[in-house]
Amino acid sequence: MLNDKYSQKIVDIIKNYTRKHSLWVVAYGTGCGAIELPPTMTSRYDAERFGIRGSATPRQADVLLITGYLSTKTLKRVIRTYEQMQAPKYVIGFGSCAINGGMYWDSYNTIKSLDQYLPVDVFISGCMPRPETVISGFIKLQEMITDGKANGAEKYKENLDWYRTNQKQVIKNWKMPDYNW
Amino acid sequence: MEINWIKIIGLIITPIIAFFTGTLYGGSARNITARIQNRYGPPIWQNLFDIMKLYSKSSTIHHGVMQHLGAVWAITASTTTLLFIPILRDSELFVNLSFDGDLIFLLYIMVFGSLGMALGAGQTGNPNSAIGVSRGLTQLVGYKVPFIMALVALMIQFKTTNLNDLLAVQDSFLNWNIFQSPFAFLAAILAFLGMMGYKPFDIVFAPAEIASGPPSEFGGKYLGMMQTSRSIFTFAKLVLFTDLFLGGAENFFILIIKTYLLYMIPLLIGIVNPRFRTEQSVRFFWKWPTAFGIIAILIVAY
Amino acid sequence: MNKELTNENKLIEDIKKTFPSSEVSIQREKRVIVKIKQDTVPPLLSYVKDYLDFNHLSHISCVDWIEQKKFELVFILWSYDQQIQIIAKTLINRDEPKFTTINKLWRQAETYEREIHEMYGVEFVGNDRMGDFLLEDWEDIPPMRRDFNTIQFVKENFNDRSAAREDSKNVRETIAKHSGEEIPEFAKKYSTRNIDE
Repeated sequence: MLNDKYSQKIVDIIKNYTRKHSLWVVAYGTGCGAIELPPTMTSRYDAERFGIRGSATPRQADVLLITGYLSTKTLKRVIRTYEQMQAPKYVIGFGSCAINGGMYWDSYNTIKSLDQYLPVDVFISGCMPRPETVISGFIKLQEMITDGKANGAEKYKENLDWYRTNQKQVIKNWKMPDYNW
Repeated sequence: MEINWIKIIGLIITPIIAFFTGTLYGGSARNITARIQNRYGPPIWQNLFDIMKLYSKSSTIHHGVMQHLGAVWAITASTTTLLFIPILRDSELFVNLSFDGDLIFLLYIMVFGSLGMALGAGQTGNPNSAIGVSRGLTQLVGYKVPFIMALVALMIQFKTTNLNDLLAVQDSFLNWNIFQSPFAFLAAILAFLGMMGYKPFDIVFAPAEIASGPPSEFGGKYLGMMQTSRSIFTFAKLVLFTDLFLGGAENFFILIIKTYLLYMIPLLIGIVNPRFRTEQSVRFFWKWPTAFGIIAILIVAY
Repeated sequence: MNKELTNENKLIEDIKKTFPSSEVSIQREKRVIVKIKQDTVPPLLSYVKDYLDFNHLSHISCVDWIEQKKFELVFILWSYDQQIQIIAKTLINRDEPKFTTINKLWRQAETYEREIHEMYGVEFVGNDRMGDFLLEDWEDIPPMRRDFNTIQFVKENFNDRSAAREDSKNVRETIAKHSGEEIPEFAKKYSTRNIDE
């Protein structure tokens, strides 16, 4: 009785409803866009109405915000943080530096397109996006969760070889633990 | 052998009621915090969504057997504490287990949950967890001293160690234990501030200071169990205080009013205060609350 | 300039008397430029620090003069009492760049010298912490030198989406075509930009 299609659909609806109404964000500011996060979380543009809360460690969090550019040194640490989170997990890319390199398009030290190193669900454009844009990016993520399309973690699991080739091309000294399922 | 079906049904329903009430109280605490900070907060059932989301994580990462047992011990401790406290005064369904000497039993079963979490955190090997555990246990020593003194004063005054007898003594409004033993009430209510875990005594679970302390390596289902245990434990502590000092309750309506008003005391103090360091909080607990406790024991013993 | 630059003139006299081979000049109010040879840098800096009260080192910087085959080290000092900034410049050899450290006068010089070593390749004798600083596992020539081709490096090592970037298209003409306007005469010479130069 519990394994037919209709009860599976009801369970999915309940699961997606609870997942989208309580998103916990890793408290890690990877770039200069992290300066837009305190106004979003405090009194004026209150993000706690939607259930978005900061979380202290990656083991307890759902969402990783890549706020801005990533140098190759930071990319290694961000990959390690991403692999410590527990599925289902989502990645949001902030700013134009995550989309195509942005202001640092000709720099020898930053990566140019985040999509090839980590699976990204939502891109938010701007340099830096204002708090209203940040909240509308989260609402877009909520809509994707309702439709069942926010599956970056499964994409990463299936195409791990492709992601690893891209990452090892940029990071020369690869001494990291294996992906912990 | 007679099976008392009513009592068994009461024992099963009580944790469920405690869980839902505890999450609603937590959600309303977040709402009140938000209104004081001039913004709207999350809806009242937000804590329930958090716990359900944590239970629906599809992968769990653990570091060993002791981490499983740590979370299980936490829930066992809080549920056991709950089952030895009479929820309503004279109802057949909700007066749970009791025996002579259950006050002393409650004193040490309440510490069992922290022990479980400390063992689970020790297995993970994270230095943040180790620092958080040592701070938590130091603070526990701090607030247990006035609490034990208040309970000992009550036990000497009424010559009983059974919680049901203490309930039977408070039969009218002027016979509440606030008026019969005021110094014990003062000592216990100041110790209650430390037990609730709000500021200024929340250095154990501080997110920005030591990356949330003991539960820093717990994620997914383990964290869901810790949050569940915390909600049940909140309700248990509030009902214990109502039974000890405010005369218990005859039906759920009065119980909710009394526990909510009691919950407001640590919450409203906690919103507007910063945090103490560990040695400052221990020094606070060993000055005035302990003095009130000693006065209470001396008044009663002579 | 109507103001009397008495402090700056007195400073110039002091420095010129002690170090006759230096060239001093006043750029404007509160800015004095001193150009010296390589071996008089530590004596000048300690004289200026101890005797004339310039006790704050703001920055050490480096300029790459590739046509003359020299690096130029720039030391910027500030005095709280006189509120004057001294900019001291030296030229060192570009093929084998070596210099002594001024770690003993100001301890913060260690950080600036580490950065110059990583970005330009200048070796500071006496500084113990040369090594990895900002770049991790860098195997090329020091990247701030002018003969390091950044754009070619980026094209080889990173897969970028520059075919879709606006800079590789002609922005002014695109906008003019969209809104149906004419580009004015004075802006026409900036319209085409070659990103490979």
